[in-house]
Amino acid sequence: MAEERIGVYVCCCGTNIAKVVDVESLAEEMKDLQGVSIARTYKYMCSNPGQQMITDDIKEHNLTRVVVSACSPRMHENTFRKALDRGGINPYMLEMANIREQCSWIHEDPQEATAKAKDLARGAIQRVKYHDSLASRTAKMCPATVVLGGGVAGLSAALELADSGQQVYLVERADQLGGNVARLDLTAPYLDSARDMLKDRIARVMRHENIRVMMQSEIVELKGFVGNFTSKVKTPAGEEEFEVGSVVICTGFQEFDASKIKQYGYGKLPDVITSIELEAMLRKGKVVTKSGKRPGHVTILHCVGSRDPEQHSYCSRVCCMTGLKYANEIKSAIPEVDVANLYIDMLAFGKGCEDFYKKTAEETKPMFLMHAKDKHPSIRLAGPKDDSSMIIDVKEQLSGEDLEIPTDLVVLLVGMEARDDSEQVARLLSISRDKDGWFIESHPKLDPVATTTDGVYIAGACSSPKDIPESISQARAAVARILAMIANEVITVDAVYSEVQDKLCSGCRICNSVCPYSAIEYDAEKKKSKIISEVCKACGCCAAACPSGVIYARHFTDEQVYAQIEALL
Amino acid sequence: MSVRVNPRLIKELEDFGAEDVSKCYHCGNCSAACPFSDDPVIFPRRAMRYLQMGASSRLRTTLSPWLCYYCGECSEQCPRGAEPGETMMSLRRWLTSQYDITGISSWMYRSWQNQILFMVLLAVLTGVGLVYYGFNFGGGSLSVYEGEQAFLPHHFVHIFDWVMGGVIFTLLGINMLRMWYFLMRGDTARPVPLGSYISSIFLLPIHFLTQKRFSECGNKQPWKMHMMIMFGYTIMLVLIVFFLPLMQEGYNFAAHFFGYLASAGLLIGLTWALRGRLNKTLTFQQKSHHSDWVFTGMLLFLAVTGVIQHVLHRMGLPYAANLAYIVHLSGVVCFEVSQVPFGKWAHLAYRPLAMYYAHLQKESWAAGVATYDGKLPATSGAAD
Repeated sequence: MAEERIGVYVCCCGTNIAKVVDVESLAEEMKDLQGVSIARTYKYMCSNPGQQMITDDIKEHNLTRVVVSACSPRMHENTFRKALDRGGINPYMLEMANIREQCSWIHEDPQEATAKAKDLARGAIQRVKYHDSLASRTAKMCPATVVLGGGVAGLSAALELADSGQQVYLVERADQLGGNVARLDLTAPYLDSARDMLKDRIARVMRHENIRVMMQSEIVELKGFVGNFTSKVKTPAGEEEFEVGSVVICTGFQEFDASKIKQYGYGKLPDVITSIELEAMLRKGKVVTKSGKRPGHVTILHCVGSRDPEQHSYCSRVCCMTGLKYANEIKSAIPEVDVANLYIDMLAFGKGCEDFYKKTAEETKPMFLMHAKDKHPSIRLAGPKDDSSMIIDVKEQLSGEDLEIPTDLVVLLVGMEARDDSEQVARLLSISRDKDGWFIESHPKLDPVATTTDGVYIAGACSSPKDIPESISQARAAVARILAMIANEVITVDAVYSEVQDKLCSGCRICNSVCPYSAIEYDAEKKKSKIISEVCKACGCCAAACPSGVIYARHFTDEQVYAQIEALL
Repeated sequence: MSVRVNPRLIKELEDFGAEDVSKCYHCGNCSAACPFSDDPVIFPRRAMRYLQMGASSRLRTTLSPWLCYYCGECSEQCPRGAEPGETMMSLRRWLTSQYDITGISSWMYRSWQNQILFMVLLAVLTGVGLVYYGFNFGGGSLSVYEGEQAFLPHHFVHIFDWVMGGVIFTLLGINMLRMWYFLMRGDTARPVPLGSYISSIFLLPIHFLTQKRFSECGNKQPWKMHMMIMFGYTIMLVLIVFFLPLMQEGYNFAAHFFGYLASAGLLIGLTWALRGRLNKTLTFQQKSHHSDWVFTGMLLFLAVTGVIQHVLHRMGLPYAANLAYIVHLSGVVCFEVSQVPFGKWAHLAYRPLAMYYAHLQKESWAAGVATYDGKLPATSGAAD
C-alpha cells in the first residue's frame, strides 16, 4: 500500500458532541496514528466553512483519504463526499465515524464516551485505508409513465404528466373512470358536487393525445429498474407490454365490510345502510327506507371499522366531515327529519372543516351523541308501540346515560381499508406494506410519495386514508418527482452495489431468493446469477448469503470491514 | 333505566327561550363558574346535555333549574355562547309547563299570542261579569263606591277574592304535588325518610321570605329588586285577602300605611326591573321571553290601576273610582289565574320547595342513604 495521507476532521456539532466527548484530545490522539497527516476540530463541520476546510486541506496537504468524526453517515455522508469531490479526490475515499448518535447522545460519562469515540475514529481510519475509488454510473430515463388506477389521484397524475408532453398509460380495472369519488354525491366541507369535479377531468383524460386509457385492465408484471421498466398489462384484448420509466400507484381504498360488526346488524336489518349506499340515494335525490317510506329519524353512526381495536385502529380521516355532510344533505332532502350523529370524537381538522362543523351544529342542528370507543352501540327492531322502526341502544359518554335512540334509517360511516389485493400489488411492484396493508412511503414526512423502490410512487388513498385534496396533491407531487427525473434525461446510479464474480458463481441461486429488492437475475443459459447494479441498494444480504463467498460488495469489502473491526478491538 | 331520546325536545325548548343549547361542547366551564353548583346537584352542564340529548324524562326530574338564580356567571364564561344561564331560565319555564296538568301553561309559554289571548279572555269575562253583577245584584249604580249600596260591595269582592284564591291554589297545589312526585320520586331521586321532611320544614318559610340563596349571588341588585316586588306583593295579598273591608271602606291608617308601603315597593321594584329588561342591563335581562314582559308589565299595571283607583276614591270621584276598580279587578283575575298556576308566578311556590328538596336530597346523599346519582349505580355518573 502506497503512503497514505489521511485527514481526520472532528466535529463538535455545537455542543452536541463536544459537551460529552473531549474532541480536542480525540484529534490530538489521531494525529499520531500511522498515515494521518492532519487532524482538526471544528464547531460545525457540515457548515460551509467546515466543508471548505476539508477541501482546502486536501489541496494544500495533498490528502488522499478523509475521516470525518461527526454524526451518522445517513445525515451528512453525501455532504462530505461532495467536499472530497471538490477537493479533487474520489468521493468514496471518505469514512465517517459516528460519534454523535452512537456516542455523545447516548453516553453520560465523558471519559468513557471519549474513549469510545477514539475507538470509533481509529476504526474509521483503518477502514478508509482500504477504500477503493468508485465511479457512479448513469442509465437512460424513459419518459413514459404507467399510472395504476383511474380515480381522482390517477386522473390528476395522468393529466399533469400528459399536459407536460409525456406519454401516459392509465390502467384502470373497472369499466369507467372516477374511482371512489365517482360514487359520491356532494363533498365536504364546501358541499361541491363530486360529479362536477370529475366530469371535466375524465373528459380531458379520454381525449388527451398523450394518454392511453386502458380500461378493464390490470398490471401483471413489472421488470427492470427506475427509468427502465418493462410493464406487462392484461387487457380485454390480451396481454400487452410497454416500456416506462416510472410507475404511479393510485389504486385507492376499499370500504370496510360493515357486516363484521354484529351489533350493527348490517345485512340483516334492511334499513341499516352504508355511507356508499346513502350516496347512491342522495345522487338519485331520494332518501327512503327499504319499504319506500320517508324516514322520520335518521342516525349517522361514525367510526364504523375505524378507531376500533377489534377492526382498524386508525382513523379513516374523512368520515366525520362526511357525517356532517349527510346531516346537511338529509335535512335538506327531508326538512322535517330528525338527524342524530353518533360519534366517538368529532375530528374537524383541515381547511374549512371546523367552520363546517360549527355551521352544521348551529344551523342544521343534528343531535350529537357521543359513544365510548370500546363499546359499540347496538341496533334492534323497535316494538309496535314505538314511533320508529328501530332503536339504537347506546351508553352516551357525555352524560353517562344509557340511551335509546329511535331511528328509521341508520347510515354506517364505513371506514377506508387497504384493498384486498394490496399484498399482490405490493409484491408485483416490489414495495412494502404496513400492518394494516397500506403501501409504505419512503419517509412518512420527508418523502411521502416515493416508495422503497426507485421510480415507483404512491399517491392518494392507497397509502393511508386521505381526502380528495390530499390525494390530488400527492398525485401532483409524484408527477413533479417524475418530471424532474425526465428533465435530467439520465439517472445516476450509486457506485455502491454488489457484484457476482462471474467465473466463481456456481448458480445455486441462494442470492436470488434473499435479495429484498429483486435486483438479482438468473441467467439460465450461463447458469449464473447476475446483479442489476441499478436496482441494487447495497444492503449486503447476498454477499453474506453466498456460500461460495464470491459476491463482492463494493465499499463493504472483507478487508475494509476486517480492518475496521481490528482497530476497534 | 334507559332514557328514550326525544329529538324534538331541543326544538320545543326554543319556544321556551333556549336557542343556543346546541352550541355547547361540554367543556364544563359553566358548572365550574356557578357559585351554587355543588354536590350532589351539579349544574348547568348536565342539564345542557340532557337537553341536547332530548332526555325529557331526565329533565323533568331535575332540580337544578330551580337552584339557579341566573346571576349570569356561566353565560359570561361560556366559550361557545351557548347561554347556559338562559337555558336554565328556559328550563324553569318548561318545568312549570311540565308540572301543570292542564296543558294551559305549555300552550301559553309556546306562543305570546296564546298567552295574550288567554289573558284578554280572562280579563273581558271578569270585566263583563263584574258589570253584570254590579247592575243586577250589587248597588246598581256606578256612582256609589262605598257602603252597602256600593256598585261592588266589599263583602262581595271579599268572597270573590276567596273563591278565586281557592281555585288558583288548588290548581297550584296539584302542580306542586306533581313537582314533588317528579323530583322526589323520579328515577334519579334519592330516597328521603319522612323524618327529614319534618325536621327541615322550617326551610320553606325561610326561603320564601328571605330568598337567602338569591342574596348570596355576587351582585346584590337583582335580589333587592326581587325582595321589593315580593314583599310588595305579599303585603298587598295579605291586606286584600284578610283586611279588604279596611281597605275599601273609610280610612284605616294602619291598613293604608302598609298599603302605601306595598304599593311603593311594587312600583319601584317593577319599574327598576322593567327598565333593566328594556336596557338589557344585566346578563339575565339580555333575552326576555314574552312571559317575562307579560309578568312584569301586568304586575306594574295592577299596581298602577290600584293606586289610581285609590286616588280617585280619595278625591271623591266614585264613578271613576268604580270604573278603575273594575279594570283593576279584571286585571287581577287575568294576572292571578294565568300566572300563579300556569305562568311565571308559580315560582313563588316552586323556588322555596326546590330549595327544601335540594336540602333533603343532599342530606340523603351525605348520609350515604343514596348514591351520587340517586338510584342509579354509582359508576354510571359522568363527570360534570
